[in-house]
Amino acid sequence: MPYLDLNLNLTKEQEMTRKTVHEFARDVLRPASLELDKLDPEDVIAKDSIFWKVFKQGYEIGLHKILIPEIYGGGGFSPLEVHMLFEEISWGSIDFMIAFGVACFPAFLSSMVPNDYLVNTFILPFCEDKEAKIIGCWAITEPDHGSDTLAPFTAQFSLPECAGSCRARLEGDEWVINGTKAAWVSCGTVATHAAVYLTIEPEMGMAGGGICIVPLDLPGVSRGKPLNKLGQRALNQGEIYFDDVRVPKENMLVEQDSYEALLDITLSTANACMGAFFTGVARACYEEALEYCKQRIQGGKPLIEHQLVRYKLFHMFKLVEACRYFSRAVMEFNFNTNPPYTQYSIASKVFCTQAAFEVANEAVQLCGGYGLSKESTVEKLFRDARAGLIEDGSNDFLALVAGEALVGGE
Amino acid sequence: MPIFESTEKMYEILGGLFQLLADDPEVGPKANEENINIRFIINDPDGEIWLLHGDPKPVVVTGECDAKPDIEMWISGDDCHAFWLQKLSLPVALAKKKVKAKGPMAKVLGLLPLLKPAYENYPKICEREGLPTDV
Repeated sequence: MPYLDLNLNLTKEQEMTRKTVHEFARDVLRPASLELDKLDPEDVIAKDSIFWKVFKQGYEIGLHKILIPEIYGGGGFSPLEVHMLFEEISWGSIDFMIAFGVACFPAFLSSMVPNDYLVNTFILPFCEDKEAKIIGCWAITEPDHGSDTLAPFTAQFSLPECAGSCRARLEGDEWVINGTKAAWVSCGTVATHAAVYLTIEPEMGMAGGGICIVPLDLPGVSRGKPLNKLGQRALNQGEIYFDDVRVPKENMLVEQDSYEALLDITLSTANACMGAFFTGVARACYEEALEYCKQRIQGGKPLIEHQLVRYKLFHMFKLVEACRYFSRAVMEFNFNTNPPYTQYSIASKVFCTQAAFEVANEAVQLCGGYGLSKESTVEKLFRDARAGLIEDGSNDFLALVAGEALVGGE
Repeated sequence: MPIFESTEKMYEILGGLFQLLADDPEVGPKANEENINIRFIINDPDGEIWLLHGDPKPVVVTGECDAKPDIEMWISGDDCHAFWLQKLSLPVALAKKKVKAKGPMAKVLGLLPLLKPAYENYPKICEREGLPTDV
């Protein structure tokens, strides 16, 4: 259902774009996401799966390039517009939202540090793609490194004993990559390209890294089995193995001298996006609960007429609104500020994912037994929201990273 | 010792370089299409250079200006010099916090491919002015 936007300055075009994307989220993404949720992860990405049809439809309307600058054929949207669109897509399906988000990650990063080779061989073809032939992923975590990969400019980040195990060494004009990226790489099973966060200089710990765009059809690349997980099941995840994979020198976007700085921008961007995503999830949960409470009769009258139910719905509504305007403000500020104030992006991610989980929990509670059943949408949304507390950095760890920035006066 | 010995010298060289871009029949109109005012706030030596949206071509202003900036960038004179010699990548400098910026940076990064005429001319200007190119 439409919501009252507190921004008085939205243009008709912005409202129309939001409406169009909302309808796509409602009519295409939500039903597909519910259908895919019931499948085994291998079946989600099987050749005849609806996943491919929907992903292609998303590419046709440009959902994969929302973040890319216009000069490369990207969406060219303002931060406010990006936030509005991300909320709508996530309202329909957080699984597909994250899939589209990571699909653009290698091209998005390349567009921040562009060279002619990557512009012509990768960014432009990605933006022109209407068939989901080029799919990216963000390969940062490793079997023995999770959220700790997201702590640039903290003391532990430079400890040699914390260095990552997926390594790159330069041989002539090529980087040679060896190692494994974790089972949590979103779209890792289906991606054609990865933005791989590697270790180049282990003596510098994780700070001695590099970011490389790796085509995943190169000799030496192999994949693990799709991960079977609690929520966001339409978002396929899986390991990627690198065995003496040779990549052109131009594909390394940054090396150890700039790695921490670009990782900081990556974290700030990704967490700001997560704030927008989980605003959409929280809103979906609230709206599902509200509709159910209008229909369900208990004690001789609809649930909505019970005072405690109204109180609970108001609390959920209040959280959704707080999520939207806080995460919008953070996105607008940090997308326009370089270097970003990453602690605000982290605050947005932590606040919105926690709020979404709280709203999802209340939605299940209000829906009662129905909310626990596989027939209800809130049951899936609850599982989806739970994942948000861990993905893109566990909230506890991120809070420590942001806390260090606060006392360090960054 | 900064590369530019004085603010006036910096204005003469970098201001002239921006003017060259504004006058370029291809670059000027394309830069105008973005419809933005960019303010460069420079230190060592201190000064500011503006690239303003104008009609029919962008306008270059050195020193203070009353216009409202859409994008502001903070950079040292030495880093400006390195940038025009193509020895400092703007995106990397932004990432490394050597350059700070406020405003829609995607628009600035979008202008980078238009800078070729200035890149080509800057080494010749350095030679003429006796500025080092081995930074």
